[in-house]
Amino acid sequence: MRNAAETRPIVYILVWLALMILLALTVGSAYLPLGSAHTPVNLAISVTQASLVMLFSMHLSSAHPLMRVIAIIGFFGIAIMITLSLFDVLTR
Amino acid sequence: MSSVVIGADENIASHENYLSSGWNWRSWLLTLDHKRIGILYVVTITLLFGIGGAAAALIRLDLLTPHSQLVSIETYNKLFTLHGVIMVWFFLIPSIPATLGNFLVPLMVGARDLAFPRLNLLSWYLFVFGGLFTIYALLAGGVDTGWTMYSPYSTTYSTSHVFAVATGVFIAGFSSILTGLNFIVTIHEMRAPGMTWFRLPLFIWSMYATSLILVLATPVLAMTLMLMGIERTFGIGVFDPALGGDPLLFQHLFWFYSHPAVYIMVVPAMGVASEIISCFCRNPVFGYRFMAYAILAIAAFGFVVWGHHMFVSGQSAYAGTVFSLLTFLVSVPSAIKVFNWTATLYKAHVTFYAPMLYALGFVGLFTIGGLTGLFLASLGLDVQLHDTYFVVAHFHYIMVGAAVMAFFGGIHFWWPKITGRMYPEGWARFAAILTFIGFNLTFFPQFILGYLGMPRRYPEYPPEFQVWNVLSSAGSSLLVFGYVLPLAYLLWSVKYGAKAPANPWGAKGLEWQTESPPPTLNFHKTPIVTEEAYAYRTESAHG
Amino acid sequence: MAEHAATMAHQHQFDDAEQQRSAANLGIWLFLATEILFFGVLFAAYAITRVRFPDAFAAASRLTNLPLAGVNTAVLITSSLSMALAVHTARHGARRATVGWLSLTVALGIAFLCIKAVEYRFDFLEHLVPRLDFRYEGAQADQVELFFYMYFFITGVHALHVLIGVGCIATIAVMASHDRFGPSYYTPVDVVGLYWHLVDVIWLFVFPILYLVSRS
Repeated sequence: MRNAAETRPIVYILVWLALMILLALTVGSAYLPLGSAHTPVNLAISVTQASLVMLFSMHLSSAHPLMRVIAIIGFFGIAIMITLSLFDVLTR
Repeated sequence: MSSVVIGADENIASHENYLSSGWNWRSWLLTLDHKRIGILYVVTITLLFGIGGAAAALIRLDLLTPHSQLVSIETYNKLFTLHGVIMVWFFLIPSIPATLGNFLVPLMVGARDLAFPRLNLLSWYLFVFGGLFTIYALLAGGVDTGWTMYSPYSTTYSTSHVFAVATGVFIAGFSSILTGLNFIVTIHEMRAPGMTWFRLPLFIWSMYATSLILVLATPVLAMTLMLMGIERTFGIGVFDPALGGDPLLFQHLFWFYSHPAVYIMVVPAMGVASEIISCFCRNPVFGYRFMAYAILAIAAFGFVVWGHHMFVSGQSAYAGTVFSLLTFLVSVPSAIKVFNWTATLYKAHVTFYAPMLYALGFVGLFTIGGLTGLFLASLGLDVQLHDTYFVVAHFHYIMVGAAVMAFFGGIHFWWPKITGRMYPEGWARFAAILTFIGFNLTFFPQFILGYLGMPRRYPEYPPEFQVWNVLSSAGSSLLVFGYVLPLAYLLWSVKYGAKAPANPWGAKGLEWQTESPPPTLNFHKTPIVTEEAYAYRTESAHG
Repeated sequence: MAEHAATMAHQHQFDDAEQQRSAANLGIWLFLATEILFFGVLFAAYAITRVRFPDAFAAASRLTNLPLAGVNTAVLITSSLSMALAVHTARHGARRATVGWLSLTVALGIAFLCIKAVEYRFDFLEHLVPRLDFRYEGAQADQVELFFYMYFFITGVHALHVLIGVGCIATIAVMASHDRFGPSYYTPVDVVGLYWHLVDVIWLFVFPILYLVSRS
């Protein structure tokens, strides 16, 4: 696993900008009458923000694929936990 | 019986090795050597096994009579809780990984030590610290919730020392995580030149899969215990039905960890079995790649079946159906492994040294345990069998019949490597057979009891069940001897056993290419691997 | 200037500095996976309880302090930027820049905790602390109390992780001031940076699920 290629500082600044814009979006969308779409929209924005941080600030895009697998497995585990438990709760 | 030695016998230990280099408190309690840390773990879990075993002995004595005449009902609850908590978290989970794993992983991959030796030592201290908390809870009056600590009893109604036990287990959990993390990094990063993934011994594959579970599942337990402990302390929480909380939520979160945990207990045993069986068959393990994939599949599937512990808890029938189906799936890779061990024996040159007796016992008992798991995976059958002695028998067949026998087999197999001494073979064969008989006498009657309807965790039962309980308790007295004997002769052998050569069994594997006991840095020169795993059949002068 | 030796010293179990760095990287990512699953339990418990009481949780969420939490989110995002820049300058052996960026990150982390303390104080004043001081006059008061139990639990555990992170960053800032980092060794900064980014990622999920349930 050779040393990761270096990320230029401008990338971090652009990520910061994107995160701030998405923050404004997620707070702003909370005031729109979206009904039950609020949660999926918020979560989609969170996932986008998390992806930006993980891919660029945490260097996952240039790291050995194994790191990406490890990161995904963590979230996958939560997904299984929530999905199957929720399936039980919703079908009782 | 004489200690038979096969294979080259150079390098009888009279040189500097990891045991001879320093013998004071500091050199042991501040060691960074993975081999010494493995021994620290052996000593610790042996003590804890004794405590958990004593609780079991009291339980079996009390169950000799239909009425609980030995201990009060409250004490009985505390005994089976103590037995479960100690045996699961303080014996089985660490057993093979923290003892044999710690000792062998660097040796088997050809490294000088694990990736993070200081984290390794820290993990032992966390384990001891967690164990002390739990022992405190026992001395201060015990816990009566069962090892599963279900809410709302654990969070609201029990007046016993739940918080202390939960804290002890929480701390010990970090010990598990650090061990798993260490193994994964070592296996990925520090294999010797030529040691490709598919040349690794299956024991390493099993340590790798176990470590994945340790790392991914244990944090879930940690947080679940925290939620339970905080709810108990502050009287408010998400498990409390009075506020609209859901007790089943605790069960979902608890079993999300605790089902994979049972694979932490059995997958290492599978790895040990593969090493021993191939050696004493002089055969490569049949279907090596399928064995490796099966190990990974068991670890992966193990994460999606936890609801089979909750079939009759109030879980929805639809969720139950899904979990039942997934549970049947997880049996497939396990079955593949059993077939492959059996196939390894085909046309093999089999010798019945004590490790082989333990390993063969493992295969048979794991098969019975696994098949009875299918009974329990069946939604309809489980309604009858849940919370009966059938379940108790099933998991003891796996955890004791399989896992503990494999552990003993592994301790015997690698004893010459670890100590530089041979154990007395005659006594060892006797102990293995005694254990096998004692085990079956203890636990087979429990399948019958469960089928007949005796509930688990009950100190009293109808008189018509007594004959089976007496058989079971009689068997447990044989088991005691089966476990104490090895303790005695293994300790004896450290001083009086015949000195072991580097490779007394003529086994394949890098650990056998270095001296017994190994030097502190494992190898005098980094090994270079040129042959496949279990290259037994490629020997030219072969019978 | 930081050391630039091609044969950087490494711990005895490793073959070379490259293997050591690679092992450290894999190790920290595995640790981060454990943190993801650790918090995952809280997300699961929250999700399941909220699905069962959508109205109570919506009403409760409206009582949380969105302006303060929004500012805090911006603070944490910015601290992530300063941390990333610190890793960059540490890798280049720029001592003063590294100390500067790390100090800024510490300051922002402390700011996060202070704003959170203020937010908690407002919650106390509004009598929204479960068990200790909870008053709610609306419907499903028990479930609103449950929401706030989860709110304090989740933000509290997260704040603890922020505190630990601040401690670690301060420590490596001191190390940086002693010129310990350069192209051949900046692992502590890299590792702590990854931890800090994950603390940020977790908050990016915590924030909307607690504060933005129902604002329209």
